[in-house]
Amino acid sequence: MSLPNEDYSQLSSHFFGDLLDFIIVDVASECHRVVKLGLDCNLEEEEEEMRLSAQARLRVADPGNSGETNSKYVVDIFGQTHPSVASEIFECINCGRSIAAGRFAPHLEKCMGKGRKARLKVTRSSTAAQNRYSRGSPVSTYSPHSNSTSTSRLSNGTPGVAGEEYSNGTYEEP
Amino acid sequence: MCVRSSLYTNPKPCKHLADYKLRNGFHGFDYLQNCLKITPNGRTRVVNHSTKVPRCSFCNGYQGRLYICLICSSISCSRHVLLHAQSEHGHDVAIDMERSELYCCLCCDQVYDPDFDKVVVAEQIKGLPGGKSSYGLVNCSGRTSKRRRLLDSEMELDLKKAKQLMAMRDGRAKSCYPLGLRGLNNLGNTCFMNSVLQVLLHAPPLRNYFLSDGHNCNQCKKSSGEKLCLLCDIGALVSAMFSGDRSPYSPARFLYSWWQHSSNLASYEEQDAHEFFISVLDVIHEKESKVRNYSKDDGDCQCIAHRTFSGLLRSDVMCSTCGFTSTTYDPCVDISLNLDTVNLSAADVAVKPLEPDEKMGLSTLSGCLNLFTRAERLGSDQKLHCQNCQELRDTSKQLSIKRHPLVLCLHIKRFEHSVVRKASRKVDRYLQFPFSLDMTPYLSSSIIKRRFGNRLFALEYENADSSAEYNIFAVIAHSGMLESGHYVTYLRLKNQWYKCDDAWISEVDEGIVRASQCYMLFYVQKLLYYKANEDSSYVQKLLYYKANEDSSCVQSSPRRDPSVSTAGCS
Repeated sequence: MSLPNEDYSQLSSHFFGDLLDFIIVDVASECHRVVKLGLDCNLEEEEEEMRLSAQARLRVADPGNSGETNSKYVVDIFGQTHPSVASEIFECINCGRSIAAGRFAPHLEKCMGKGRKARLKVTRSSTAAQNRYSRGSPVSTYSPHSNSTSTSRLSNGTPGVAGEEYSNGTYEEP
Repeated sequence: MCVRSSLYTNPKPCKHLADYKLRNGFHGFDYLQNCLKITPNGRTRVVNHSTKVPRCSFCNGYQGRLYICLICSSISCSRHVLLHAQSEHGHDVAIDMERSELYCCLCCDQVYDPDFDKVVVAEQIKGLPGGKSSYGLVNCSGRTSKRRRLLDSEMELDLKKAKQLMAMRDGRAKSCYPLGLRGLNNLGNTCFMNSVLQVLLHAPPLRNYFLSDGHNCNQCKKSSGEKLCLLCDIGALVSAMFSGDRSPYSPARFLYSWWQHSSNLASYEEQDAHEFFISVLDVIHEKESKVRNYSKDDGDCQCIAHRTFSGLLRSDVMCSTCGFTSTTYDPCVDISLNLDTVNLSAADVAVKPLEPDEKMGLSTLSGCLNLFTRAERLGSDQKLHCQNCQELRDTSKQLSIKRHPLVLCLHIKRFEHSVVRKASRKVDRYLQFPFSLDMTPYLSSSIIKRRFGNRLFALEYENADSSAEYNIFAVIAHSGMLESGHYVTYLRLKNQWYKCDDAWISEVDEGIVRASQCYMLFYVQKLLYYKANEDSSYVQKLLYYKANEDSSCVQSSPRRDPSVSTAGCS
């Protein structure tokens, strides 16, 4: 049965209207239940938190605000000042030499014979997987393999996947 | 403010519903059992078997919303449903056929009744392939509450003992500042370590454990025969931090110990704080297990690291065709969250219908948690084998928190990998986070309920013995780039925020913390938070113990009376 064009468009907008109504009522019904059952009763507190955060950001962004002074060059709350590189001297546990605190890590690295190693992805994740304490390595067959995208699904935290390491160290290619 | 003893409030019925219940009880709902049709995605319809297409008895229309009268089963459309109630006395309550929701025709509003919901849910569960057991509804996690109560009773014992002793103030402490507040020297790119240590030193269960000599050094050296013990070093670190000396401390010995144990991470370079956090907890667990011969069971491990941070994650994989659900549980010590860069999705609307006016692109912690717990449809290229269908099927996966930890660590994944550029970069996007966090909507019980349409019913294992409300106590913030940056920790002690930037400790306003770029957030259960804060001399008393090495005070706590039944455990 063929209809003139206007009737088709009327019919289709009618269907669309019906579908839209259906969806709207569906959502409204769901939300109605949530509200009536008090499942969102923290709403006011949440809004307050949002407001406080927004306020805080404005204050911090305001250049006129003294804000957070760079405390590294002033006196701390205990009335002490410190040099930017820690100067306390103590004996190295490994070799017994006197080292300045701020230079302890590089010294210890050489002293213990660790050196800068290229950290393999495999090493890290296999070590972590061995630890019983693992954050749930993808054990179940249902965990999808996670990609290193920002929208990737969390597989209960997979340590050692390069690219996902929030290392403030050198980033290594996978 | 809404007060609730369980996860929801029972709303008061309208006059008409109340009348109906009075006259018919819940038997009126019984006939429903044969009329409900449930689809795998959770939609529950009322199906009237007599006619093929249900039509309104007044206008014979089949469009729009249809309601079936509870008394006479006659069907009316939304335009005529009031007419039906007016023309027939007592026929006030009907059911929305599309969603199986009660509708009061005279109030013209959706109404709720727990007995009705119970019938609907019973049918929904019956209809599930595999029945109750497939939903894990029969799982009783009685162990959860027992474990929680063990820790509680131990803490209470500590408090009791502490109260028996005199308060002794350490004269060296600048008493206006909280004890334990002390800078940590940067030993060379070790700010990642310092930031995490500050958090661990002030996490109440962990701090108390080490201050009360939970790890007995003499014992451990004898049994393991090793010269080094990381736990002893942590104990020494804790002592030093709480000694009252305010000059910055160099955690050199700790670094040395840690490098011995985690040799793959032992190098002089900037590292990831989260990775370090996991590594330290790992080592504590290992050491404690050796010393005390803990059970191999991760979920119930009693080492201090687990007792503090361990929770249980539930993962449900649901077949899109038949609804069969497969459930697994994994212990976790933290939750890594992706940033929610998506604006309000349909799922969010259902949970928070009145979401405050969100500016385009504001990421919030609740948004991230919603993202974490939403049902994610796996792609068609990732079909899985459904046990019920015996075929490869499209599935959806959903995570939820089965057991929430005492101290909750939330890790924000601030890195983005670009496939095109084959490089990662840091995401500096601001994340709004609250100081007071209610994790209830992300618990397994809430997620499951939502799947059943938020019906009023109690799950078998629902335990109300530990609330999922948390207060923030520490934030690790990062500034800079992926390759080089700086970590600082913000600590909240006695309602004052302190910034711990390596050796520099300063007081900051809470606004600074709110506006910071958080990387790791630490929340502690409210009850524990208040306990830790109210008894200000508690820590001093613990130190008094330590100073006097009164080992008779540190005993294993008596277990709670086992005849006291666990709430919700059948």
